[in-house]
Amino acid sequence: MSGLKILAFGGAAFAAMLSASVTMAEELSLEGKVIGITTIRSDNQADRLFYQSAIAEAERLGAEVIALDAQSNDQTQVSQIQTLIAQKPDAIIEILGNIEVLNPWLARVKEAGIPLFTIDTTTPSATNVVASDNYGIGEQLALKMVADMNAKGNILVFNGFYSVPPCKIRYDQMKYVISNFPDVKVIEPEMRDVIPNTAQRAYADTSDMLTKYPNEGDISAVWACWDVPLIGVTQAIDGAGRTGIRTYGVDGSADFIAMIEDPASAAGAVVIQDLVGMGKASVQNVAAHLAGQKVPPFTYVPHLIVTKENAAEVIPTLPSTD
Amino acid sequence: MTMTIAAETAAKPARARGALRRQGTLVLRLGALAMFALIMAWFAFTTRGFVSPANIFNVIEQTAVMGVLSFGMAVVLIGGGTDVQTGGIDLSIAANTGLCAAVYATLLAGGSGDLAAAAAAIGTGIAVGLLNAFAVVRLGILPLLATLAVMNIVAGLELTVTENQVIGANSTVTQLIATGRFLGLSVLAWIFILFSALMTWAIHYSRIGLRLYAVGGHPEAARAAGINVGAYVAGTYAFSGFCAGFAAILLVARLSASTTATGQLLLAILAAALLGTVFSRRFVPTAGGTILSTLFIGFLANGFQLSNVSYYWVNGVQGVLILMVVAVTTFAKPQGK
Repeated sequence: MSGLKILAFGGAAFAAMLSASVTMAEELSLEGKVIGITTIRSDNQADRLFYQSAIAEAERLGAEVIALDAQSNDQTQVSQIQTLIAQKPDAIIEILGNIEVLNPWLARVKEAGIPLFTIDTTTPSATNVVASDNYGIGEQLALKMVADMNAKGNILVFNGFYSVPPCKIRYDQMKYVISNFPDVKVIEPEMRDVIPNTAQRAYADTSDMLTKYPNEGDISAVWACWDVPLIGVTQAIDGAGRTGIRTYGVDGSADFIAMIEDPASAAGAVVIQDLVGMGKASVQNVAAHLAGQKVPPFTYVPHLIVTKENAAEVIPTLPSTD
Repeated sequence: MTMTIAAETAAKPARARGALRRQGTLVLRLGALAMFALIMAWFAFTTRGFVSPANIFNVIEQTAVMGVLSFGMAVVLIGGGTDVQTGGIDLSIAANTGLCAAVYATLLAGGSGDLAAAAAAIGTGIAVGLLNAFAVVRLGILPLLATLAVMNIVAGLELTVTENQVIGANSTVTQLIATGRFLGLSVLAWIFILFSALMTWAIHYSRIGLRLYAVGGHPEAARAAGINVGAYVAGTYAFSGFCAGFAAILLVARLSASTTATGQLLLAILAAALLGTVFSRRFVPTAGGTILSTLFIGFLANGFQLSNVSYYWVNGVQGVLILMVVAVTTFAKPQGK
């Protein structure tokens, strides 16, 4: 299990960075408050850590928590938000999801007079949105990818979740970066990553694309807005013995980090988000708001990039929970 | 003489078994009602806000889509007979809803008018229903297998249309369905109430409804009485397809988009339609039973949410309900048709 590190971001350096970004001058309390927490899913590491850390932090501060997981089903999440509104909690935290589906329902939360806080869902209805700086993430990852490609070659892009706000921002930033490099092209049509069976499906799709583009140099990079599909993609590339292709994504799934650490693997770079810190930050903002403090509209939680080059140095500093 | 005695001795336990079954079905019906009441009471006492009018109206609104689809499934069960292996069933109904929603949302997003998009959605649903009808009535394939195959075809078509993406769609009609209110109730809740009233009349009081029960219960007798059994059975699949198209419009309106995972509704629809059969003496679906079961499943999901029980349990409970209903009705149903 040595390769399986669950990255929970408790490291001193990141904690220091985080404390600067969250309003928590003194220990706040949620004693006697009811907090509704709803997420579109909690079946991959990023979503699970957002959700569980928000629940844990709210309970630690003394709140009664109504926590609802929609299991990737938009209809269920909408029903759950509607149910939460009827419960009239003191605040609602909404995590991830499809913005087109959510926006009208989040507006209803606001209309009902319930303060809304979100993680990774940028919406005008929210009192505060906690997110990584996805603009920075998208740009940093794309620049690293273009640099590794020597500003030349074709990118296979997985773009199945453009309706999820952080994915949209990271994708748009990636396209903006490569628009300045005329020799870098995106292979059309783009691929679609899916939920569930994300890694398995990406493995099969990549195997097909490697057959379709059989020569070295046909594909130089594979990009996705998260890293679960890239686990399958990288396994397919490594399994086929193809060289000259690197994979790039976001989140910091244990398996993908292990692949970046492996010099022989195609995994190129991953931007790691402070997933636990983001869940905590949202709850801290709820507590601050309910205590009458002013809360900023956005809380950006720091991220860092792990690459083949800095892996040996950075990965050991990431705390492990096994 | 020997044969007569043998027949009589055989008839006695058969009669006793019949009486036992009759008692059993009564106990079962009352038991099911008592179970509903008990579970509702438990949620009412243990969860916050379960019995608040806002929550109750929410559940009615939330079950509108499933209610329409449960009626589609119930009609197929009535017309095809409720035999678990060979009877009517439409496993493609949820996937069909997903495809119709994709068609509806894609057209609206592409600038089509409300009427054209709605006609295309319902047309798609009916077309899939007719495909099921062709497979079952013309080709004579078991409904269980025919509709399973069609479910896969339809799910593939949905992916082709949407590329597994969420397709945002908004129009005057979807806005009205999603946010409109009348006499304190949401438009979706009204649609469910009116649709249920219409279906109650169609199933129990119209000529077509009564003939449909005859077709499902005694196809040979129905045929002898001059009813075109094949046409009626085919009609049930077309109607189920219509329900898929209609439910798709409600779904897109509620979510402002067509989304993936609509196929997951199948379990809840099956549970509602099958559970609805428990409330009739002959274990066939009835309008009242279907409405009651749909609401029960809606309240069950709602109660679980409010009790902080993981949503994963809802799927498990729906599965157990299906198993229980099928097992119990198979035991208690009178022998032969």
